[in-house]
Amino acid sequence: MKRSRTLTLALMSATALTLAACDNPEEVAVFENAQQCATQDGFDIKACEANMKQAQEEHVRVAPKYTSVADCEADFGEGQCEDAPQKTASGGSVFMPLMMGYMMAGRSAGVATQPLYRSKDDPKNFRTGDNQKVSGKTGISKVSGQVARAPSTKTSTIRRGGFGSAARASTGGFRRSFGG
Amino acid sequence: MQRISIAERDDWKSQAEALGFNFHTLYGAAYWDETACYRFSLKQIEDDIEDPSGEIENMCFDVVARAVNDSEILEKLAIPESYWDYIRASWMGQDRNLYGRLDLSYDGKGPAKLLEYNADTPTSLYESSAFQWVWLEQAMEREIIPPGCDQFNSIHETMVEAFRNFGIPEGLHRASCKGSDEDEGTVRYIEECAAQAGLETTFIYMEDIGIDASGRMTDLDDMTISTLFKLYPWEWVMADEFGEVLPKSGAKVIEPPWRAILSNKGLLPLLWEMFEGHPNLLPAYFADDPRAADLEGGYVRKPLLSREGSNVEMVRPGAETLTVEGPYGAEGAVVQALHPLPVFEGNHTVIGSWLVASRPCGMGIREDDSPITKDSSRFLPHVILD
Repeated sequence: MKRSRTLTLALMSATALTLAACDNPEEVAVFENAQQCATQDGFDIKACEANMKQAQEEHVRVAPKYTSVADCEADFGEGQCEDAPQKTASGGSVFMPLMMGYMMAGRSAGVATQPLYRSKDDPKNFRTGDNQKVSGKTGISKVSGQVARAPSTKTSTIRRGGFGSAARASTGGFRRSFGG
Repeated sequence: MQRISIAERDDWKSQAEALGFNFHTLYGAAYWDETACYRFSLKQIEDDIEDPSGEIENMCFDVVARAVNDSEILEKLAIPESYWDYIRASWMGQDRNLYGRLDLSYDGKGPAKLLEYNADTPTSLYESSAFQWVWLEQAMEREIIPPGCDQFNSIHETMVEAFRNFGIPEGLHRASCKGSDEDEGTVRYIEECAAQAGLETTFIYMEDIGIDASGRMTDLDDMTISTLFKLYPWEWVMADEFGEVLPKSGAKVIEPPWRAILSNKGLLPLLWEMFEGHPNLLPAYFADDPRAADLEGGYVRKPLLSREGSNVEMVRPGAETLTVEGPYGAEGAVVQALHPLPVFEGNHTVIGSWLVASRPCGMGIREDDSPITKDSSRFLPHVILD
């Protein structure tokens, strides 16, 4: 057969068809640091270090942020928070939990390298920056695709409208499609 | 390969609307046309369309591999120098491509000839993948066509699979320009395919994309854009104010930057130079190449970046020269040996051969009243029946 076996139009179709949730488990690797990572079969120290460095960079970006140490420690435990490089709009300090480990791809492709944390109320488990439970142990684990995705970040837009002028210039705006 | 007149499904318009196909009629005339269909043998599909499409794709990769390291070629393609490193990095980093449509001239006999490659912003995806598929099932069920027909069309399955394998780490943003229902329909279909692969998507108009202080792209909720599907040609991105932001934004773009080499008509002379005499290629030269004057039997002049037939000029021996007006052409042009489209009952028929993640997986047919296919052409379904 040269055609698709099934065709589902769940979103485009006016008569709503229900789809089974499609959240494939992904294989991830969880480590406390690069040295521990390097002891895992199939992982070399270079990749371990590169991923840890990437997780540390992400840490600054995706770690939960607090405007008081007390609030941060209430969630992550005494002595488990550090200063974040960010400042509040009025110039005040910002705090974030310490990075306790990191997650990288096992054999799955769709895994974002990211920092992991341990919360005060569930210290056994690693959690992502957006508070999704990953695993209690280091090494290879299966997690849902949702957990393997990088936490998206809220930011501030400084400018919009930088795209689209070439389309107007080229077509005068009277075309049915900008493709071809 | 035959054109067969058949009965329309009496409810196809209401079905089209229920299935989100809102541009089935354009300029007051049918764009989707099921008053006829094209019939192919399995051998024609596999030997003459599917396999050559895969072969052409491989030759195209050879062209890209050469072009990214050759500033003379990039200059000929009128790609701004500030984007050369970006394009090269996207090729070296193996940024994945999603889809493309090869336009072929084929009459059922002899080798299909490549006319051009819509490798960046191909349209007619939804009607090829979904509405044509629904038509086949229903036309068999309603005995409009015989049972046991097949179709060269696993586009939908292949799209979903491609999105699963893409490794998109977080949400996918989909963008098109304001003012085109057809393009919005296409990006809605992209959402459909991505969702079935388990990806969350967010729609944004190209015009609404923002940037933050560190140069990342943002959506209307100020969330960063990490992967952008854009139904917006690369050459326009490069001409826009925010174009220069992209290489440093950290975002992956679909199609990736290296596809700009393939969607450029300069691909045609580059292919001919590297694979001269290949049965699926036509002789082609950059317009300023002296050999261009030697093309016998007529030629077609195409601007490097034209779309939907705009600014194409067809010079035919013993017949008047045809031209289509349009806004393109300042950037240079190529000439390609004339290989007129086959004519079936007065219709000039072009085959769009779809590749998803570089795999040939389907076909869509368009007809025009004139020898140059334009955006006013009609889409007709096809069947495979030996």
